[in-house]
Amino acid sequence: MVKREVKVTGDAGVHARPAMMLVREAMKYECSVKLVKDDVEADCKSIMSVLGLAIIPGTLLEILADGADEEKVVNNIVSMIESNFSMN
Amino acid sequence: MKKQVYVNIFLETGLRVDPRITLIAGESGLSKEIKISEMNRPGLALAGFYDFFAYDRIQIFGLGEAAYMKQLPPEQKRNVYEKFFSYDILCCIFTHSERPDELFCKMADENGVSVFVTERKTTNFVGLLTHLLYNLFAPAISVHATLVEVFGIGIMLMGKSGVGKSECALELLERGHKLVADDVVEIKKVDEVLLVGNRTDILKHYMEIRGLGIINVQDIFGIRSVRNKKRIELVASLEEWDDTKEYERLGLDENTYPILDIKLPLITVPVRPGRNIPVIIEAAALNQHLKKLGINSAQQLDERLKNLMEKKNG
Repeated sequence: MVKREVKVTGDAGVHARPAMMLVREAMKYECSVKLVKDDVEADCKSIMSVLGLAIIPGTLLEILADGADEEKVVNNIVSMIESNFSMN
Repeated sequence: MKKQVYVNIFLETGLRVDPRITLIAGESGLSKEIKISEMNRPGLALAGFYDFFAYDRIQIFGLGEAAYMKQLPPEQKRNVYEKFFSYDILCCIFTHSERPDELFCKMADENGVSVFVTERKTTNFVGLLTHLLYNLFAPAISVHATLVEVFGIGIMLMGKSGVGKSECALELLERGHKLVADDVVEIKKVDEVLLVGNRTDILKHYMEIRGLGIINVQDIFGIRSVRNKKRIELVASLEEWDDTKEYERLGLDENTYPILDIKLPLITVPVRPGRNIPVIIEAAALNQHLKKLGINSAQQLDERLKNLMEKKNG
């Protein structure tokens, strides 16, 4: 299992489009991918689950992956968030 | 997931503990955290007996306490209140619309203890509060599932992303059943045997259907198609058909799925193109009603067979 923390920057947070980007990325892999915010866990492969976390700017997010390619998916998601979903 | 609860909970309208409660003193005490879901009647403490005084609980002043305070001579009253407020009191609630005197309110203000008054009777209010606090402090988890109400039975549809939970829920809605939560179900153990599934505030009655995107179930199907919470009585696990796996053919043995230490009846429904899953879920709900009445179809048939065999043998 791989676990990494990342802080959500930018000024919009994870609204519908960024959430979709996260889900699309996670869906590419077989392994389970989870986002954790304040002890609340969301399935990164479910758009409703990700939106339900209400990830506002400044949130400290934990990304957990377990299974094949776990390292890769976590790195990709972290860089997506760090780059503010390439919206800068 | 532990929720922090503060004294200002009594004023939060969304919770509606008691619409007939008002804050009369000690506004600065609203930020105190309620750590124990219990209450205390401070009668003994007011009378001077402070052993085992549970000052960190919600203090309920009923008619008895109010009457005792009223008959105290002024000089003694100050001493009683001083002693009482020397403890780090959580908050005070007066029932029966019994407002405490000015001195009590003044000292509550000084010590940062919130004082509320409710029109309700003590027993009635305590019942209400017990229920609310139990709910707030109940063990809870969030589960990746879809919760529907079918013929009055709360059924939790589980299974991997993309197996068709939401599509199944959509068809059930079309047939007049209700959606509680799609994809994220917050489950609370409100009792030793009772699990209640809630929708989350943000997701409300939205759901995602592959190919369509996000839809608002309440807008499309109307108010009767949604519920905010529902007792969960059955778990239906949807999984892709696996030829190597043995699926239930009789229904004589009951499988269970544990959630927060409660074992819920579980059915495993294999999904295959052309298989009408919502119909199976509907039948499962009706079958669950029968089981609650003590009727088990598989057992019935088995007994008929056994009777027949005995007759033939005899």
